[in-house]
Amino acid sequence: MFTVDRRLFIHMDWRLVGLIAAILFVGITTIYSVTDQWSHGGAPLFLKQMIWAVAGLMVFTVLAAFDYHRLLGYAHYIFGFSILLLTAVLVLGKVGMGAQRWVQVGGLNIQPSELARLAVVLLLARYLADRVPPEGFRFRDMLIPSAFAFIPFVLVLKQPDLGSALMILFVFGVMLLISGVHPRSLMTGGLSGLLVLPFFWEWFWNSLHTYQRNRLVTFFNPEADPLGTGYHVIQSKIAIGAGGIAGQGFLQGSQSQLKFLPEGHTDFIFAVFAEQWGFLGVLVLISLFAALIWRGMDTAMKAKDLEGTLLAAGITCMLTFYVFVNLAMTLGMAPVVGVPLPLMSYGGTALVTTMAALGILANVHLQRHISLYR
Amino acid sequence: MTAPRKGSLFRRAPRPRVSNPGPLGGRTALLGVCVAAAFAVVLVQLTRLQVVQAGGLSARAERQHHKTIRLSGERGTITDRNGRILAKNMDVPSITADPASVENPRATARKLARLLPVSDRSLEKRLKGNRHFAWIQRHADPAAAERVMALNLPGIHQVPESRRFYPKGKLLGHILGFAGSDNQGLSGIERAYDSQLKGGEVRLVMQRDALGRTVVPTGTNYRRPDHGADLTLTIDEVIQHHVERELDRLMEESQPTSASVIVMDPDTGEILAMAVRPEFDPNRAGRYQADDFRNRILTDPYEPGSTMKVFMAATALDAGVVTLDELIDCEGGYLPLRGGAMRDTHPYDEITFAEVLAKSSNIGSTKVAMRLGPDALYAGYRRFGFGQRTGIELGGESGGVLPSPDRWSVRSLPSIAIGQELSATPLQIITAASAVANGGRLMRPYLVKAVEKDGETITVQPIMVRRVMSEEAAAKLRDALVAVTEADGTAPKAALPGYRVAGKTGTAQKARSEGRGYAKGKYVASFLGMVPADNPRLVMLVVVDEPEGRYYGGTVAAPVFRAVAGPALHYLGIHPRTDRTVVVAGEPGMAVPAATAERANG
Repeated sequence: MFTVDRRLFIHMDWRLVGLIAAILFVGITTIYSVTDQWSHGGAPLFLKQMIWAVAGLMVFTVLAAFDYHRLLGYAHYIFGFSILLLTAVLVLGKVGMGAQRWVQVGGLNIQPSELARLAVVLLLARYLADRVPPEGFRFRDMLIPSAFAFIPFVLVLKQPDLGSALMILFVFGVMLLISGVHPRSLMTGGLSGLLVLPFFWEWFWNSLHTYQRNRLVTFFNPEADPLGTGYHVIQSKIAIGAGGIAGQGFLQGSQSQLKFLPEGHTDFIFAVFAEQWGFLGVLVLISLFAALIWRGMDTAMKAKDLEGTLLAAGITCMLTFYVFVNLAMTLGMAPVVGVPLPLMSYGGTALVTTMAALGILANVHLQRHISLYR
Repeated sequence: MTAPRKGSLFRRAPRPRVSNPGPLGGRTALLGVCVAAAFAVVLVQLTRLQVVQAGGLSARAERQHHKTIRLSGERGTITDRNGRILAKNMDVPSITADPASVENPRATARKLARLLPVSDRSLEKRLKGNRHFAWIQRHADPAAAERVMALNLPGIHQVPESRRFYPKGKLLGHILGFAGSDNQGLSGIERAYDSQLKGGEVRLVMQRDALGRTVVPTGTNYRRPDHGADLTLTIDEVIQHHVERELDRLMEESQPTSASVIVMDPDTGEILAMAVRPEFDPNRAGRYQADDFRNRILTDPYEPGSTMKVFMAATALDAGVVTLDELIDCEGGYLPLRGGAMRDTHPYDEITFAEVLAKSSNIGSTKVAMRLGPDALYAGYRRFGFGQRTGIELGGESGGVLPSPDRWSVRSLPSIAIGQELSATPLQIITAASAVANGGRLMRPYLVKAVEKDGETITVQPIMVRRVMSEEAAAKLRDALVAVTEADGTAPKAALPGYRVAGKTGTAQKARSEGRGYAKGKYVASFLGMVPADNPRLVMLVVVDEPEGRYYGGTVAAPVFRAVAGPALHYLGIHPRTDRTVVVAGEPGMAVPAATAERANG
């Protein structure tokens, strides 16, 4: 399949690897600090996360070495498989937290939506790069790629996983814009979008679970129901604020230690980190994420072909979306939509798929150098 | 592949990397700007939360995490001067419930109501619901609590709670006062010495987790709160007992609205006994009105009447304006004065000043007071402490009312000379009388003799406020006052065989509660006594408010004095002199009673 090439090491994006390792380390220590005192059967969560991180690094390495052009060749299979999984999850998925997000494969609980989002990026990169017209996409050209995005969008929304569903739409939009949209199509698209929006919103709102609607309502006034739906956001803001400038120190932070902050090891891991390390620590962490995103954008800009650019842009976009939606949610600036912080939040599937996506990103970076020597 | 497309700068064919400032660059730059803007928004919000609002949010975190628990040390014990316990904390069972784990609230309530003095309906209400704590009965009867626990009802528990006990019941009730269930003194000694009795308080800051469970933070140094200080009172329980017994008898016989007795050691100002009726039992403080536990002896001034003549005489003798054997013309019982004539109940003509006191002649007293004049009389009374608080430890003390001469009317001097138009508390009178008894030293009255804390005892020393008259004048005055309790004095019923009793009666009309003048048929009868007259060991004041039937101090109050002083003297080892020549060895000052031994040294 591939030979372990000396150039793989020389041209590997080590800055990217370093950033990933740093964020993974921060994530695992933060998970340790929250779940330290939990008593439950099985391995401690931070240890499980470490195992997932190792698995993720292996996936990263494999995909970084695997030519993305060949990967794109399988894009439609991967897409089809993930649609199958999403449908399976709707039919026989394991119900967790009021949402059907998991499917059991062997002994593992897999979240097909994690795979689906990557599949969408792959398929769109392949399809759009092949067909981009000189003047950009016209409206009719966009129907097929729209279907690629909307089918998983609806399936994921039905699970329901609002965060992932919105991300798919967002990534689709950005990839379309980057590959080029005809100015007139942009306008008609925008206008028809505006016309359809009320109906779409109606359908969208009705398809939401009560708890999701509550989250959206709560976002606008969290203090209205401080012990109910507003609880997460209020406790999260308190935790972040209690961190102050210098933080309360590792393993300190009464908000998380006394369990006032729910989901401290998953969606609200940023608040835990912020309480322990304060404003200064948060600046460092945000810089790490900013650098990671910058590596992605740089890779996209310098990719040797449009496939590479779209792939890198889609992956970066996905990452950026998750980072910002999670931060905004934790900081009380966006509704609680249940989006994990990439590379930090506890969760195996999300970590491995993120690592896979970053592996592809690394390969896009690598390919431009390797092709030079070909 | 056709020629390079316009509009899109992407080319399918690989090309060498060069910087790419075309539309792609523009679009990515736009994306970059968007990302940068997003970062900026996140940073602004972070700054708001972690820098600007950090204080408020931290405080909010503290509020929801911290739970302060107060542990207080056991309240100190109060004993009488001989170590007999008057107030002490004891552990009693309190019955509590965990309503969430009560199986059948109704049945449980019914079972409990059979054993406890609580209605089953109110119990049922408390036992319902999903809370985890409810009081069933605080400070329950231990026997009842035992029977409740024997039922083994699910969700019903008992906890020991410290409760204040007053083993002597109503004895000394007004003086001790009482402490509430949360260890706070609410009246009397309990209140005045609350901070000492209370002992230390340790505040433990505990942490509370999101489920409300208490978490003991690591590194907490638990220090046992200090035990409160123990108090030893100047009160002698035996004398107090005599006093209260006689007060009860008086209440029975004369049905007064209130009555009080106070016994003082004149040399030191120590209060040996102090009792007030209507009674008050601090064990059942909740059943009384605030009016009932007020210590009238120091809070309620009254017009003392003739007992004030003692201090008028003391002032006059000390000033040298009169001698005891000087003859005073008592005008046959009628002395016209501006503002109203002065009358005597029994008319006298020329009698000695000593006889004026013995027979309590108003006219004779008026004439002597006129020799003093308003300023000297006022100054004399002030010296004896009237119009000012005595400074006893208890709260709520009144200083009485002694108007200054510039506010007197033409009729005030004779009135004030015989104890009207001014008011004083029983405590002020006995304190002033003690100065006459001890040879002219005004002592500050006190109730707490020693405070013991952590094995260290601080003994309270007697405080002399000032000298108010010469020793000689005091001795002469006491001598003259002995005639009061002799056969032709006003209080022969105060006489004690074998002792010389110096005394003075008082029968004062009560001022109307509304308007001017005096209420008809309402009197305050009092008797002030000192025994033995040559060197008094005990000074006692009996005040009876609105007795029914007989109302003279000599007939209502004097018998109480005799009934208390007799056994009290015997108890103190002050024996009666049956024969003057034999009792040389028993001269006052030689036979020192055990209870007042310290005084002889000091």
